[in-house]
Amino acid sequence: MNERSQWSMVHGQWSMAMFTLLFGVAVLLFFGMAYPHHLHYQEQYQLFLFDRNYMWEIVKLPGGVADLLGRFCTQFFLFAWVGALIISVLLSAVQLLTLRLASWGRLYGLSFVPSCLLWLFLLDENALLGGVWAVLLSLLASWAFDHLPCGWTRRILLIIAIPVLYWMAGPVCILFFLLQAPKRLSWYYGLFVLLALLPILLSFYLPVPADKLWFGIHYHRYPTVFPVILWVAVLSIFVLTLIARALHRWANASHRIVVALCSFVVVIAGMGWIVWKNSNFKAEKVMQYDFMARHQQWNRILDTVNAEKPNNPIGVTVQNLALAMHGLLTDHLFEYNQNGISGLFPTVERDAISPLPTAEVFYQLGMVNVAQRTVFEAQEAILDFQKSARCYKRLAQTNLINGDYEVARKYLMALQKTLFYSDWANETLSLLGNEEAIAKHPEYGRLRQFAYKDDFYFSDHTTSQMLQSLFLSNTDNRLAYEYLLAYCLLTGDRETYYQFTSIKR
Amino acid sequence: MKRHIRSYFQFLVAVTLLFSSCAYHPDVPDSSKETNCLPAIFPDYCNVTVPCNIAPLNFMLPAGEYSECVARITTPDGKLLTYGAGVKVQIPEDEWREILIAAKGKSIKVEVWGKTTGAEHGNEKSEWLSFSPFEIHVAEEPIDEYLSYRLIEPSYVAWNFMEIAQRNITSFEETQIFNNKMTSIDREKGQCINCHSYQNYKTDNMLFHVRISNAGTVIVNDGKVSKVNLKRDYTISSGVYPAWHPTAKLIAFSTDKTRQGFHTLNPNKIEVYDMESDLILYDVATDSVMVVCNDSTLLEVYPTWSPDGKYLYYCKSVPLPEELRDKDIRSYYQKIQYNIYRRTFDLATRGFGEEELVYDAASHDMSATLPRISPDGHYLLFAQGHYGCFHIWHREADIVCMPLDDETPSDIDLTKLNSDGFPDSYPSWSSNGHWIMCASRRDDNNYSRVYFSYFHNGKAEKAFLLPQEDPEHHTFLLKSYNRPEFMVEPVHISVDEFSRVFQ
Repeated sequence: MNERSQWSMVHGQWSMAMFTLLFGVAVLLFFGMAYPHHLHYQEQYQLFLFDRNYMWEIVKLPGGVADLLGRFCTQFFLFAWVGALIISVLLSAVQLLTLRLASWGRLYGLSFVPSCLLWLFLLDENALLGGVWAVLLSLLASWAFDHLPCGWTRRILLIIAIPVLYWMAGPVCILFFLLQAPKRLSWYYGLFVLLALLPILLSFYLPVPADKLWFGIHYHRYPTVFPVILWVAVLSIFVLTLIARALHRWANASHRIVVALCSFVVVIAGMGWIVWKNSNFKAEKVMQYDFMARHQQWNRILDTVNAEKPNNPIGVTVQNLALAMHGLLTDHLFEYNQNGISGLFPTVERDAISPLPTAEVFYQLGMVNVAQRTVFEAQEAILDFQKSARCYKRLAQTNLINGDYEVARKYLMALQKTLFYSDWANETLSLLGNEEAIAKHPEYGRLRQFAYKDDFYFSDHTTSQMLQSLFLSNTDNRLAYEYLLAYCLLTGDRETYYQFTSIKR
Repeated sequence: MKRHIRSYFQFLVAVTLLFSSCAYHPDVPDSSKETNCLPAIFPDYCNVTVPCNIAPLNFMLPAGEYSECVARITTPDGKLLTYGAGVKVQIPEDEWREILIAAKGKSIKVEVWGKTTGAEHGNEKSEWLSFSPFEIHVAEEPIDEYLSYRLIEPSYVAWNFMEIAQRNITSFEETQIFNNKMTSIDREKGQCINCHSYQNYKTDNMLFHVRISNAGTVIVNDGKVSKVNLKRDYTISSGVYPAWHPTAKLIAFSTDKTRQGFHTLNPNKIEVYDMESDLILYDVATDSVMVVCNDSTLLEVYPTWSPDGKYLYYCKSVPLPEELRDKDIRSYYQKIQYNIYRRTFDLATRGFGEEELVYDAASHDMSATLPRISPDGHYLLFAQGHYGCFHIWHREADIVCMPLDDETPSDIDLTKLNSDGFPDSYPSWSSNGHWIMCASRRDDNNYSRVYFSYFHNGKAEKAFLLPQEDPEHHTFLLKSYNRPEFMVEPVHISVDEFSRVFQ
C-alpha cells in the first residue's frame, strides 16, 4: 500500500467516524430538543428496581437481557438529555457494527439505514428500547463470532450461541443467524431447525402466548402490536449487507471521500425527512403539558399557554389547573380555549395517558381518594403490565395523606430500590406516622385540611355538588372555589355562581 | 448506593450458601441485654400452632431497628440449632423437616437475639438484645399440601396482570395455573380470570372463569378441559361464585349483576354490591342450567354444599322496606344485610327442599357471607360485617364459626384468628377440618394475605401467616391473595393446555 492510499484510508476512517458522530449528534438533538417529553413518557410507565426478583422476572424470558438493558436505560429518560444521549450512542453503535459487516464504499450511506429505521421505530412512544438492545446484542454477537477462526470450535460455539442469544435478545437474534450463515449452507440448515424449534418447545413451558415467542415478548408496549419497523430494521441489516457484498467491486471502485459523503448526505436527508414526517409533535405537545403538570411547573404552564393557547383536552386541563393554582381561573377563563366541563375534569378513559393529568386535578383539589383511584387505574392500564414510578409516588402520597401508612410504606420501600426516587422515598418514609410533620408539610398538611367532611360515592353527586361539598368542607380551599365558579361559568349555572361568590365575600 | 452494595453482598452470600448446600449456623451472642418481651418478628410466629408438614417458618426482625438477628431452636429431643443472616432467619427445608418430625405433637422452643442498629435506639453503639423465648406448637394433624389463589392488585375498575397460582404449603414452590395474558385477544379491554373452584379439594374436577376478552368458564371434567358459556336467556349473568357438589358433576353458581361504588372519604374506599343475584345449578355432563332461587326482590349469593351434598347453603338478603325499592341501591346499601339459609337437595331428582334459616345475622344487625361447612359437617364458618356482601373491603369484618348441631348455637371464640379493625374474610376449612384459612388485610389494611389457624375440639388457635422463603416477601408484594382455596393435590394441567381451549 503506497503512502497516498494509506493516507486516504486513515483519512476515510476519520471521516466515517465524523459522519457517525454527526449522526449521533443529530439523534441527540432530535430527542433532546424536539422529542424530550416522549422520553419522559417512556420513563413514567416503568419502575426499574435494583432488586434481584424484579430482574429475574425479566431475564427469565426470551429477550429478557435486552429487555432488562432497555429498562435500565429507560430509567435515565427522567432526564431527557441523558435519554437522548443513550439513544444516540445505541443508534451510532448499531451503525458502526453494520458498517463493519461489508466494505460499503460508494454505498457507505446505506450503513445508516438500519439505525435510521430504529430511530423511526423509537418515534412511537410505545416502542421499547429493549428492541434496540436486541438488535445491538445480535450485532455484537456477530462481531464477536467474526473474530473466531473457522472450524469445529466455531461451529460448536454457534450451536451454543443460538439458544443463548435467543434467550438474551429474543427472536431478533435471527439477525445473528443470518449474518453468520456460511457460504456452504448444508450443516447450517440444522441450526435453522434448532432456531425454529426453540419457540415451539418453549411454548409448552413458558406461560406466554406462543406468537410472542416468534415475534418478541417485549419489543413494544402493546402486546398485540407486531413491531413492523423494528423487524424491517433487522432485516435491512441483512439485506443491505448482502447488497453491499454483491456490489462490492462497483461500490469500492472509487476511494474518494466525497462519494461516501454524498451517499451519507442522501441517506441522512432521505431518512431524516421520513423521521421528521413521522414524528408525532402533537403527542409531544400533549406529553409536555402532562410533564409540566407532573412537576407542578405552574409558571411554565402559564408561559406556554399564553404563547400557544392549547386546544387539546389534556392541554386545556393542565392550563385550567395552572390558572386555578394562581387564582386566575375564574377571572381569565374565557381568555383561553375551553372545551366545556371536560376542560376541568376530562373523562377518565381506560388508558395510561388521560387519567394522570385528571388525577393531578383531583389531588390538588384535595379529592385524595378520587385521585388515588384515578392514578391506580392509570397504572393498571399500562398495557405491558409494568408499574410506574410516577404512579407509585402519587399512591404513596395519597396513602400518606389518608393515614394509610403501611400501604404508603410498601410503595416507598419499592421506590427505595430505584435510582432516582430513593432519596425522595427515604425522606417521605420519615414522615410516616409523624402527624405533626405531616400537618406542617406544605402539601400534605394542606391537602389533609381540604379533605371532604362527609362521605359519598364518587359518581353519586354531580360535579357541581362535589365541588360545593369540597369547598364547604373547608372554605380556605381556594382551588375548589375556583373550580366551582369555573364550572358554573361553563355550564351557565348563575344561581350557584352568585350564591358562592357571595359566600366568599 | 451502600444499601445496594450491601444487598448485592447478601445476595452473593446467599448464592454461595445455596450452591455449597449448607446452612449458616451462627453463634449466639456471648453477652446480651435481656428485654423480657417477645421479639417483634415478622411474620409473628410467637406461640402459634402449626401443621406438622408446613414449610419453614422463616422470619425477620425490623430492618430499620436491627442489623442482625440470631435464632436458636431447641427441639423436644434437646437438639439445638441456630439460624440467622442479617436480620432474617431462614431455615433450610431439610433441616426444618427434621425439626418438625422431632416436634410432632409437641413444641419447639425459639430464642431470638437482635443486634440493634444503635441510631434507632438512641445509642451510638449497637448492642445485642435477647428476647423472651417463645414456642411453636407442632400439631399432629397435617395441612392440605396445596393452596391456590388469585394474585391481583386490590383494584378499583381496571386491572393489570393477574394470575391464578398454586402454592405447595409444605415447601415454597409456587406455580402458575393460568394468567390473563395467555389468551387475551383484546388487551385494551383486558381479561379477568377469577373464581377458581375444586370438587372436594381435588383438581380433576375444577373450574375458573375468564371474563371480557375470550370470555367463558373453563371447566375441567375428569381431567378434560373445556370452555363453556353459562349464560342463558333466563339467567342474570353467566355463573359467578361457584360451588362444586361434593360427589356429583353439578356446580351451584350465583348469577350476579355486580357493581362498585367508590367512597370519597370512607377509609373502606370501595363498595362492591349486587344489583341483582340469583342461584343456578349447572350440570356439567349435560351443559344444562337450572334455576335454584330467583326472587327478584332479594339477593341470593355465595352457594356452598354440605360435605355430604344433601344441603345447599347460601346467603340471602333480608327484605327491605317497600319505599326503598325504587331508589338507587347505593343510597340504602348500608341497610342491606344477608342471612345464611339452606335447602335440602335430592341428588336423584335434582330437587331442592324448602328454605331453612340457618343463621340470622340481621337480627344482630350484621350481614353474613361466604358460608363454608366443616368436613365433619359440625361447624359453619362464614365472614360477617355490618352490611353488604363483600367484606374484604370492610374493616370491621371478621370470621365467625358456629356449631350446626346445637339447638341454641353460640359463636365459637375466634379472637385468636381474627384481627382487630382490619378486614378478615373468605374463610375455608382444610380437608381434615383442623385448619381454618382466611384472607386478611391485617398487615396493612390493603393487601390480603393468607392466614391459617389450628382448629381442634371447637377451639381456634392464634393465626399465622403463610410462610415464605424470604420473610420480606409479603412486605414487598403489591398483590392480594384473592380467594385462597385448599387443595390436596396440585393442578396438573399446564397453562399452555388451558390456553388451548380458547383456540
